[in-house]
Amino acid sequence: MTTSSEDVLLQVPQVRYKKGDGTLFLMDQRLIWMVENRDTVALRKFPQKEKLKYNYKLCFIMVSRRRFILPIVDRELEEKNKLLSSNPALLQLYKDLVMTEVVSSEEFWAQHASQYTQKQKQQPQDIGVSGAFLADIKPQTDGCNGLKYNITPDIIECIFKTYPAVKKKYVENVPAKLSESQFWTKFFQSHYFHRDRKYAESKDLFTECGKIDDQEMKKDIQSGVSDPLVNITEFEDKTLDEGYGVATEKTNVNIGTVSQAMIKRFNQHSIMVLKATKKSSEQNETEVKNAPKHNGNVNEVEKADEGHVAKKQRIQSKITYDDLDTGNDNSNVSGTSLNLSKVERYLHGPMPDSSIEQLNPNEASTVLRGVLQETRQWQSRHPTSSLVSPAAAVGALGELSPGGALMRGFQEQSLAQLVPSDIENEVRNLYLALCELLSHFWKCFPPNTPNLEQKAVKMHEALHRYHTAKLKPFEDKLIRELSPLSHHLTKHLNQLLNAAYQKFSNWQKIKNR
Amino acid sequence: MNNLEIPPEVTPEFTSTDETSLLVIIVDSNPSQKMLRDNPHVLTHCIDSVIAFANSHLMQKAQNKLAVMACHSKTSEFIYPGPNKPLDIRQIDGQYEVFTAVERTVKQNLAKLLVNEKSTLVTESLLAGAIAMALCFIARIQRTKAPGSRLNSRILVVTGSGDSASQYMNYMNVFFTAQKQGIVIDVCALDQHLSLLQQGCDITGGLYLKVPQLQGLLQYLLWVFLPEPPIRQKLVLPPPVKVDYRAACFCHRELIDIGYVCSVCLS
Repeated sequence: MTTSSEDVLLQVPQVRYKKGDGTLFLMDQRLIWMVENRDTVALRKFPQKEKLKYNYKLCFIMVSRRRFILPIVDRELEEKNKLLSSNPALLQLYKDLVMTEVVSSEEFWAQHASQYTQKQKQQPQDIGVSGAFLADIKPQTDGCNGLKYNITPDIIECIFKTYPAVKKKYVENVPAKLSESQFWTKFFQSHYFHRDRKYAESKDLFTECGKIDDQEMKKDIQSGVSDPLVNITEFEDKTLDEGYGVATEKTNVNIGTVSQAMIKRFNQHSIMVLKATKKSSEQNETEVKNAPKHNGNVNEVEKADEGHVAKKQRIQSKITYDDLDTGNDNSNVSGTSLNLSKVERYLHGPMPDSSIEQLNPNEASTVLRGVLQETRQWQSRHPTSSLVSPAAAVGALGELSPGGALMRGFQEQSLAQLVPSDIENEVRNLYLALCELLSHFWKCFPPNTPNLEQKAVKMHEALHRYHTAKLKPFEDKLIRELSPLSHHLTKHLNQLLNAAYQKFSNWQKIKNR
Repeated sequence: MNNLEIPPEVTPEFTSTDETSLLVIIVDSNPSQKMLRDNPHVLTHCIDSVIAFANSHLMQKAQNKLAVMACHSKTSEFIYPGPNKPLDIRQIDGQYEVFTAVERTVKQNLAKLLVNEKSTLVTESLLAGAIAMALCFIARIQRTKAPGSRLNSRILVVTGSGDSASQYMNYMNVFFTAQKQGIVIDVCALDQHLSLLQQGCDITGGLYLKVPQLQGLLQYLLWVFLPEPPIRQKLVLPPPVKVDYRAACFCHRELIDIGYVCSVCLS
């Protein structure tokens, strides 16, 4: 079976057939069920012309009729499971809404999870190359003066991404001339890797790589930076000279070659890294555009035009501030002038009008007379009159003691401390679920189309179900466990629900008129 | 000889016993307040409670100071220390002369004030102006106090009037001035809820209390307003209730949550 000329088109493990577990192979010409490499039971031969018509799903339907019990590999279910496991918020919503039968499962996936499923379709970002990946390949000493490097396919890919010259060499040499391990051994031994840069002498596989790199660098330097607003040649260190003038440091051309080589290596590495990332983004762009331009001349001319326009745009964007300029630009369009209807309202302050009455003279005189009578009694002292009756005093003290009527402010502050954290979590989940339902409900209004009307009715029923299935049990639980808090915590939730019910009943009334 | 020696590295604490406490009580004596129109005897009750409270304040420390003002729709006046020369008091009933002086002076001056009230009555009292006068008085006392002594001041407003919309700007001015000067404004509301004065209490760190029943007024005053500000931190007093800081729209005079603000005058 190892050198069979048939291709295995599909392989499904753990299939049950006639009381045994095995693997089902769908080959080019045959359908085979195999138990642990021992017996093969050739089951069906596909006639030549029909085999192309079969798609795998039909095959399985056929197969299932022959008393196969297949594990249900529903791709959609797998996706859903993955979504749920990677998004804890979605999982919580699912638990709250679907498991308590407030919203059916299809509705859930259609409405509530739609933004999550769409997110997946976006392209995931490529993981970039870490800057230190070469340094991370820590060699292990092999005991007797040798070093052992462990390279994973990931590392190999990183090396290829960063050093395309190495990739070229690899393609040329492996597996024709060298085996993989030999290639990599040579790589690490090469002076290319160790970068002492006296590579002109040794006849290494990789000396060419160094030369190729140098050529690339020269080409890059000559082509220069395409951005017209960046002037690299003017990059110099300017330091303070005597008398606070500006002095440019003259670079010493005769710097030792070692440090020059280091600088060269760093620059090269940076350029490679940039190129590696640019490549992947360019590939994406060309895929999207779907119309690669082949004509070189057209390309350049267009690029020049675009460059000109882009340069102007960039300069323009740097010298203008949007919010400061609108005044100058719209001088001909005057804003609406401010019409103040009652100016004196602005002079006196914004307090809501409270009733200030003037007493009519009769009332005024009565009041005055009463007050003056009182004052006449003030001349003589009544030392025996008590100012506060004991009952009133005790009542006042009761209100002012902790827990009294006037000391309620403390209760508000400590509400956060009185609520245990699991109740807090439950309240949070209740809010999430309810807000999700309510957002769909309110989106249905005003119901212009029959679709929206239906949806409104359905959401209303869902809200009712939510109320009975989730909110009421929670309130009952609260009353049993934490009686003083029961109303505070769910008051707002009830308010939200009542507003929705009200809107719905109003709408029904209007509709049925 | 046991001489208590304070070790040199411990600086002697400045306790509240060294501080002078100045209390200015502003009594709203407008006869047209609703509670007085219903029952004029309330005025006597209030005045008696306030006098007892004032005397208790003087009793806390020998160096405590007191001032009482009366305020209504046309004027605000100091009734203790009064404009006239101090009364000649002799001891009666074993009462401490200062207390007798306070009681007599306050009642006399207030009666005089009410007798002179002739013209039409308006239900609004000029409390902002009274607070401003109290602030000036406190500033004067602070200027003339002995060097090295400390003074904490507070203003207690006892009123049965409602909020007056027209004094909004003046209220804001005095509140911010008091906050700047470190003067605490307490408010004891006898009849109606005063949202504006409540804001003032909030800004200056004072206490706002709406008295549930007038019978126990003295008890409330003694419990809540008697301790001076430095001591209040160590006591459990009614916590500040959430203040309604919503601004009101200048053109419609309604309280709003979201609105437009002029960048110049913030209205």
